[in-house]
Amino acid sequence: MIKFVDVGKKYPNGFQALEHINLEIKDGEFVAIIGLSGAGKSTLLRTINKMNAATSGQVLVNGKDVNKLEGKELRELRRGIGMIFQSFNLVKRASVYKNVLAGRVAYHSTFKTLFGIFPEEDKIMALEALEKMGILDKAYERADKLSGGQQQRVALARALAQNPQIILADEPVASLDPITTLTVMDDFKRINKEYGITIVANMHHVDLAVKYAERIIGLQAGKLVYDGPSDAIDEAKLIQIYGRSLHADEIHGRVDTPKISDIAGTKVFEKHSEAPKAESKK
Amino acid sequence: MLATKTYTLRSGAKVKQPFNKTYIVALIAILLFVASGWLVLQNKGTLKLNELGTILKQLFTPTQSDAFNIHHTWKDYFSYLLTAEIREALLDTLRMSFVGSVVGSVLCLPFAILCSQNIVKTKWIYVPMRFIINLVRTMPTMVIAVIAVSLIGMGPLAGIIATSIFTFGIMTKMLYECIEALDMGPFEALQSCGANKTQAFFYSIFPQLLPTYIGYFVYNFEINVRTSVVLGYVGAGGLGVIIQANMDGLYTRSRVGAILMLIFVIVVILQAFTRWIRGKLQ
Amino acid sequence: MFKNKEQHQIKKQVTQLNDSMHVSKDVSDKYNQRPKKWIYNMVITVIIIFAVIWTFFSSGITIRNVDFATQFYYLWRGFTHPNTSFLFDWSKGGVPYLTLETVAIAFSGTFLAAVLAIPFGFLTAKNVVGKHISKIGELLLIIIRTFPEIVLALVLIRVVGMGATTGALTIGIHSIGMLAKLYAEAIENMDPGPIEALDAVGANIWQKIKYGIFPQVIPDFLSVALYRFDINVRSATILGMVSAGGLGAPLIFASQSWNWSNMSAVLIAIIIMVIIVDAISSKLRSKLI
Repeated sequence: MIKFVDVGKKYPNGFQALEHINLEIKDGEFVAIIGLSGAGKSTLLRTINKMNAATSGQVLVNGKDVNKLEGKELRELRRGIGMIFQSFNLVKRASVYKNVLAGRVAYHSTFKTLFGIFPEEDKIMALEALEKMGILDKAYERADKLSGGQQQRVALARALAQNPQIILADEPVASLDPITTLTVMDDFKRINKEYGITIVANMHHVDLAVKYAERIIGLQAGKLVYDGPSDAIDEAKLIQIYGRSLHADEIHGRVDTPKISDIAGTKVFEKHSEAPKAESKK
Repeated sequence: MLATKTYTLRSGAKVKQPFNKTYIVALIAILLFVASGWLVLQNKGTLKLNELGTILKQLFTPTQSDAFNIHHTWKDYFSYLLTAEIREALLDTLRMSFVGSVVGSVLCLPFAILCSQNIVKTKWIYVPMRFIINLVRTMPTMVIAVIAVSLIGMGPLAGIIATSIFTFGIMTKMLYECIEALDMGPFEALQSCGANKTQAFFYSIFPQLLPTYIGYFVYNFEINVRTSVVLGYVGAGGLGVIIQANMDGLYTRSRVGAILMLIFVIVVILQAFTRWIRGKLQ
Repeated sequence: MFKNKEQHQIKKQVTQLNDSMHVSKDVSDKYNQRPKKWIYNMVITVIIIFAVIWTFFSSGITIRNVDFATQFYYLWRGFTHPNTSFLFDWSKGGVPYLTLETVAIAFSGTFLAAVLAIPFGFLTAKNVVGKHISKIGELLLIIIRTFPEIVLALVLIRVVGMGATTGALTIGIHSIGMLAKLYAEAIENMDPGPIEALDAVGANIWQKIKYGIFPQVIPDFLSVALYRFDINVRSATILGMVSAGGLGAPLIFASQSWNWSNMSAVLIAIIIMVIIVDAISSKLRSKLI
């Protein structure tokens, strides 16, 4: 369980990224964070594993105050939380397998990992993580030989190899093409459902957030402006979060300018998600 | 000449011609050249132009002397290169360069990390570290060799110390500049997996760095061979010792010429080797 | 609470794995196929370590005769007490004058080489003279580059005599090798567009050089020459060791007589000189780009 108690974040340059955030995310939830760029989505996500430390309030993960954790304790927290990045953050020259195995380093001593010594279980776990993501056959290929969607799946496998309770995803599909986006989002959904892993994802595309997540958190200028189930999102609420009507690029697969009434309400989203699916069948 | 010119066009518009800095730069450079040339000419010996032909002939043709009854052939000239003396000296030269390159490039690793702004975020560490490295780099290999020789006596050990320190200085600088240009995404990802800084370095930075590192190593080995050839001149072992011993004798000068040809061949082979390795790494 | 739960999870996973029934065949196949790169890495590492140890000891290095503690004590005492009267001796034999002389040797040598290398550079550039002549030029430049500076100085000393002039000439000749090579690269990487444009307006060869080639390559040439100046300042300190002027001579005298405080004075001068020259030249180079 992740709990935010009056969390604030002020950057050294004086920018107030988060203010008075109060939230509770239960185990096994799929939560999407939406909002304009610069609204503090990334910062919020990164306070959960202290990649960015909150400057006020408390972030509790399973009852532990993340901000108070340092050194070994912090690393133990982090190894139980997977993180996915927009640019995949794989070592491009290394093999897929090596990249996934790297997710296990925190479970072993520095000395052993320095020489690349891992127990057999770990190696099997890494391969199984790849199997779960359906890219076992690419295990010994160089990571940069893979397509974008496959690379993001390798990153997901690396997170799974950590054996995590929570996966944080920072704009996971922002650098993928529309069709790959849907398959990767399906993977997130599957991981969430099959393994009961909590997923917290920053989403640029509002329709995807509504389609895949159970719960939407809306941020505006560092403040929490919406927190509720994704099927309750409507036009008024989007305007509240975005402070304006949506731009075309904020809707997955749209290039024309949408009317606000197109976006709000689930029936429109269903229409959008059907089109790419039909393409992928070919 | 220094004044800027203003042109009036027929339309009445005024165009100010910016003044050309090239001439100023050229003028300053020439003035500096005249000044430094004058200073240098204060300290000159007597010019003996006809000596040039003599000495080149002594160096690059077999020794001929009626007075001492020495009539060497080209075979004698080159067969000197096959003697044990040359073999030992050549081996010493290669040893000094190899051991120096290895020692220097191993030592430079921790220092390169400590100098990298993107890994060590503390200014109090990387600024003084860089200052130390810059101090080390001000010392030419030959000067270090002179100090080492008077400290521990003549022989290849002094040469090894000199090449090690030189390699250490230049490799640290090249490496930290390379580390700072690297993709830090994987490093961040590894930290989010709970890896400590050392683990994150060896699993994200090191694989990216390795080809560059090997390339730099080979390049430094090449430089070290070129310098160790003459290090013996100050007593640090290798071919330089023989050059120094034979340069002054009128009838042994041809040996120096033969050695110079040997050096030429070695450097050409080494260059080809370096180019081949660097090509393979890319 | 969190830790326990996690450990529990790991335990579960591990027991699953030990029971080979749970590992799918695909995974176990893939596991067995994994590249055994560590063997290769291990072999390379062992070879390198062995080579270093062997080379070190085969060179007959003996360190038992050296009393390191005493030597380092003298070194330390000398370096912390530089000979200040030598360091601030403003006569021709003092450190300041010799430092200036060293810089002058480096500058005049580099200037000479920077000018002389221009024709060599053009005669080695493939897009100017064609592939075959360029090969001959390259060979000539390699010969110049490989001829060690010290040996070149030793040759020139017989011709020009001892002194700073020899040093400047040595640097001037030796630097042509590298400068001309880098000049040629700059010329080869030149954008042919402007020259074509000049062709189109009917310019002759000299006009093309003046208005098409020079504006493109001069900044590169200057940058390369400045870089070489950095190197040459260091070289100029060495040339004094063979009496070709500059700081090298007092350095080698001090070293031969174990006069650490004199050596310390020279080293201080070298460090300050190199740092200042590096700073100026990197500043100038950044302005060129």
